[in-house]
Amino acid sequence: MLEDTGFVDVQIGDAADTFGGATGEEKARAFEVYGYAFLARRS
Amino acid sequence: MTEDLLVDPEALREQVRDKYREVAVDPHRNFHFHTGRPLAARLGYDQATVGALPDRAVESFAGVGNPFSLRRLQPGERVVDVGSGAGFDTFIAAGQVGDGGRVVGVDMTPEMLSKSRATAEALGFAHVEFREGLAEDLPAEDGWADSVISNGVINLCADKKAVFGEIRRVLKPGGWLQFADIANGRPVPPEALRDIDLWTG
Repeated sequence: MLEDTGFVDVQIGDAADTFGGATGEEKARAFEVYGYAFLARRS
Repeated sequence: MTEDLLVDPEALREQVRDKYREVAVDPHRNFHFHTGRPLAARLGYDQATVGALPDRAVESFAGVGNPFSLRRLQPGERVVDVGSGAGFDTFIAAGQVGDGGRVVGVDMTPEMLSKSRATAEALGFAHVEFREGLAEDLPAEDGWADSVISNGVINLCADKKAVFGEIRRVLKPGGWLQFADIANGRPVPPEALRDIDLWTG
């Protein structure tokens, strides 16, 4: 979607276990939900 | 509502406001996500930087990643923080750009805006400003920003293409978008995608 909306040079960082140990962990694990950093430049 | 959106944008906004109003006024209660200093440590923020901030700047932090992990902001940059909440990432950004830069935090939740503005004043950050607005309709001029940051916000917007289009509008050509957000490795059932309660819970 980033490239479709006018961004280039997209980078994605390592997964962060955002929900580990929180109440929402079970639901996050069910769908393999993690946090990521994204970096892109406006074309 | 646009036909290809999964949920009604305004209904979702109301639900998000309700949730993050609680995070602003009662940050130590039990949410389905982590908050505050433990979360900042979990996400790899520089602990000396976080440690220098007062509790009220950190306690309502509810991001999902570290938007500064792939690129540090440069001194003098003009930055927009989309969905700035109580201001945690805005204040990190303010430290990176320095007094010669400028950071505008944008949020739609009155309690978050009130908290972030009071903290900015207490910190004496004259180069930081918080404005009320939506990610889909940012209160910033075309091409104003060198960088746009955001953390855990775009996944809570029904029309993500509109958000990215608006971010593109406020960025200079060649400007940086650096944000953190969640992504799922396994598909979510279509009926769940249309269940607005699951977007914030």
